[in-house]
Amino acid sequence: MGFDLAMPDLAMPEAATPNPAVTVSADSAETPDTLESFVSAANEGYKYGFVTDIEADEAEPGLTEDTVRFISAKKGEPEWLLSWRLKAFQRWQQMSDPQWAKLKIAPIDFQGACYYSAPKQNAGPKSLDEVDPELLKTYEKLGIPLGERAALAGVAVDAVFDSVSVATTYKEKLGELGIIFCSFGEAVREHGDLVRKYLGSVVPQGDNFFAALNSAVFSDGSFVYVPPGVRCPMELSTYFRINAAKTGQFERTLLIADKGSHVSYLEGCTAPQRDENQLHAAVVELIALEDAEIKYSTVQNWYPGDAEGRGGIYNFVTKRGACRGDRAKISWAQVETGSAITWKYPSCLLEGDHSVGAFYSVAITNNRQQADTGTKMIHIGRNTSSTVISKGISAGRGQNTYRGQIKVMPKAEDARNFTQCDSLLIGKSCGAHTVPYIDVRNPTARVEHEATTSKISEDQMFYCQQRGLPQEDALSLIVNGFCKEVLKELPMEFAVEAQKLLAVSLEGSVG
Amino acid sequence: MTISEQVAPFVRAFRTAPGISDEPEWLCAHRDASIRHFAATGFPTRSAESWRFTDLRPLTASPILPAPDAVPNASERALADPPPSDPPPSELSVPTHRIILVNGRFIPRLSRIGALPPGVWLGSTADTVKARPGLIAAAFDASEIVGSQPFAALNAAFFADGFVLALEPGAVLETPIEVIHLGRTDTPVAFHLRNAIIAGSGSRATVIESTEGSGPGWTNAVTAITVDADASLRHIRIQNDGSEAIHTALTRATLARGARYENFALTLGARLSRQDIQVALSGEGASVALNGAYLLRGEQEATFAPHVDHQAPGCRTDEVLKGVMQDHAHGVFLGTIAVRPGADQTDARQLNRNLLLSPWAHVDTKPELEILADDVKCSHGATVGSLDEAALFYLQARGLDETTARHMLIEAFAADVIDTAALGDILSAPLRRHLRDWLGQVGGAA
Repeated sequence: MGFDLAMPDLAMPEAATPNPAVTVSADSAETPDTLESFVSAANEGYKYGFVTDIEADEAEPGLTEDTVRFISAKKGEPEWLLSWRLKAFQRWQQMSDPQWAKLKIAPIDFQGACYYSAPKQNAGPKSLDEVDPELLKTYEKLGIPLGERAALAGVAVDAVFDSVSVATTYKEKLGELGIIFCSFGEAVREHGDLVRKYLGSVVPQGDNFFAALNSAVFSDGSFVYVPPGVRCPMELSTYFRINAAKTGQFERTLLIADKGSHVSYLEGCTAPQRDENQLHAAVVELIALEDAEIKYSTVQNWYPGDAEGRGGIYNFVTKRGACRGDRAKISWAQVETGSAITWKYPSCLLEGDHSVGAFYSVAITNNRQQADTGTKMIHIGRNTSSTVISKGISAGRGQNTYRGQIKVMPKAEDARNFTQCDSLLIGKSCGAHTVPYIDVRNPTARVEHEATTSKISEDQMFYCQQRGLPQEDALSLIVNGFCKEVLKELPMEFAVEAQKLLAVSLEGSVG
Repeated sequence: MTISEQVAPFVRAFRTAPGISDEPEWLCAHRDASIRHFAATGFPTRSAESWRFTDLRPLTASPILPAPDAVPNASERALADPPPSDPPPSELSVPTHRIILVNGRFIPRLSRIGALPPGVWLGSTADTVKARPGLIAAAFDASEIVGSQPFAALNAAFFADGFVLALEPGAVLETPIEVIHLGRTDTPVAFHLRNAIIAGSGSRATVIESTEGSGPGWTNAVTAITVDADASLRHIRIQNDGSEAIHTALTRATLARGARYENFALTLGARLSRQDIQVALSGEGASVALNGAYLLRGEQEATFAPHVDHQAPGCRTDEVLKGVMQDHAHGVFLGTIAVRPGADQTDARQLNRNLLLSPWAHVDTKPELEILADDVKCSHGATVGSLDEAALFYLQARGLDETTARHMLIEAFAADVIDTAALGDILSAPLRRHLRDWLGQVGGAA
């Protein structure tokens, strides 16, 4: 899988060190209104901490078989999982990081990184009063509920009065329906058989360089199992497990929707999230059995680096869902505004007959951000259909690439795909690229791809401003209109926040 | 096979290759540097992004070296494989200036260049090297030595002939130029053709190139084109090689301010073929039309890879490629339109549509946009599908048998791009004729 291209050797220094170059730009004080500047200002002289319930030390920097054994032992994992990790590590050693994406990445030193570091207790601010006011202002702009702001700002969990109880309440409600929603570590302990059956069944250990790395050293993540016929009564969200949310740089998510079930999962949040690890390599596996439906929504707003491109998260994510049964449906919706580098292709394997895949994406790159993102729809079963709607917005010196593959296998009779990817350019120095791969091996398939690239129309801007809207609001209105088809796919609260997020992300990009 | 094992026979053949007698020293140096470049890179592999869909094994399994008798201007009697005694029929119904090449070399006896208007040079590459060495320099580019075009490098090392057309500023050539390459061989040999078209400012010309033949020959052509300010060039390529043949062609065009280049590529023959068309729009207001069709059957594999580089503002690209795949055929479209910073008011469209007529036929299409300027209008589209059942039913309900109905729909699908290209009746006629001939060989049911 992957786009399976040449993967020449590459060494990697600097980037993955636990405390990365989150540099503060000197002029941030002068331009306090941009997202970047208050994020970096907030970083100044402040180390927020992670909270977990595991007393742990740090592993020695570097990645060897011993590191993998150390991580597994620390987590008290069963033998099968250790050998699974080791197999992944062996595969990873034989691989080199992919070069085919349109991304300029400084080499990453994988051996310089620390792969297991237990965050120190209570290292963060004790209460919201200690949190940078600029950061709180963003939360306000985004309309994030008060109770969540503390957790997002990295306030230690014991200082967040009600998040734990909220999480517990929801967990009980889900338990009554037989829905399992817990941390990955807990799932390994409590539901080992389920994990063992499905782990790696969609993204195998050797799938690609970053998936192999994740498989070897994944820290924690989420596990969801929805039993047959159950319709999950609420959106499952990282919000509800705030104390388990900081799962580190190698997150692993496994979500199984059994026959006829339905689940909607929200990942990430619109608030500028900060993390001290610069390299992120998550893996998400979704399995939808017969008649099941999974809706997976992501808002990613990691630290994008400063205006000059210093610092920022490298986000290398492998997300893939398998429609294992007939009439299964998987839908991905994403709003990607953060990270210095985004490398992410949420995909659907449409194995069951009549299964359906969908991908809705908004990706914004501003300043020096780079995104190479898209999807893969692999049509394997008969009468499968897929829809891809991608909206890329480039501003500043951002580089935004849509890369998507539509593959129709020989047995996929009457497969149907429609792809639309539109790019919007704001400013003279940004780039928007479209790289679709269409591979059809069945004559009954109908595959359509269309794409347009345009800039913000001066007429539209003029019209809005002439009606009294300030320039930034006019831009925000136009951008939201451009993204409407995607935003409407997001769960409601998310959609409202995402709209505001688009505006915040593009602040300072016109005028 | 390692690269050194792969390239060794070519390097050995290069030492004894005749080249062109009395060629200038810079050309010898260029050949030398080119073979070194090829020796370093070898043939492209599928791990390279632009070659990942193409199965080059028919070409790389065993080395295909230049024909030993591909010596320019050699006495025809001395050749192992003599050319036909009669000239091949013309593609066009009007008089043309004709250049006939057989197995990679110019055959004066079959050609008929005729009287050219003042300011126009037309000749074989070998003759041009001798008579007008200044013109030949335009046919070369440093990218053959440093770039990622191993076939161009191999061509630069080995070419013995081809054709050169040069128009001085303002020269207008009303009579089309016809270039026919016949490949006739029983053994796998390579024909490296090096062509150049230089259109001075305000000049105008039409070139129709066709290749045909029999046997397992490998035609490897490189055509360098410069279209100067406000000049206009129409260029039609009909690739109708034999069913065992291999065909690779690189066309490189640079367009100055207000220049116009129209290319139509019809791919019919060869078991393995690849056409790279690289167009640089380097002057303001230049425009290019790249249209064409690939009609494939049997085990044929064809790649069409146009790359348009918008370097200057106000340029325009119109690109429509249509593919029809029958039997086990495999079609590949790798299109790129790149817009450089500052190339504002770019207007570019790219469309690739494919028709799959059999359960084993296969298409890969990758229409790519790379945009670094904001004031642009760019769009691309790609479709893959089969014949419309409703349309088929409609025609049959009107009393047409299934085969006729299918042919009618396929013809309509492919002929559409000939209409789009708007080449005029004279130039469209051979394209339509080839399309109908191809359809005549398509089975009824699929």
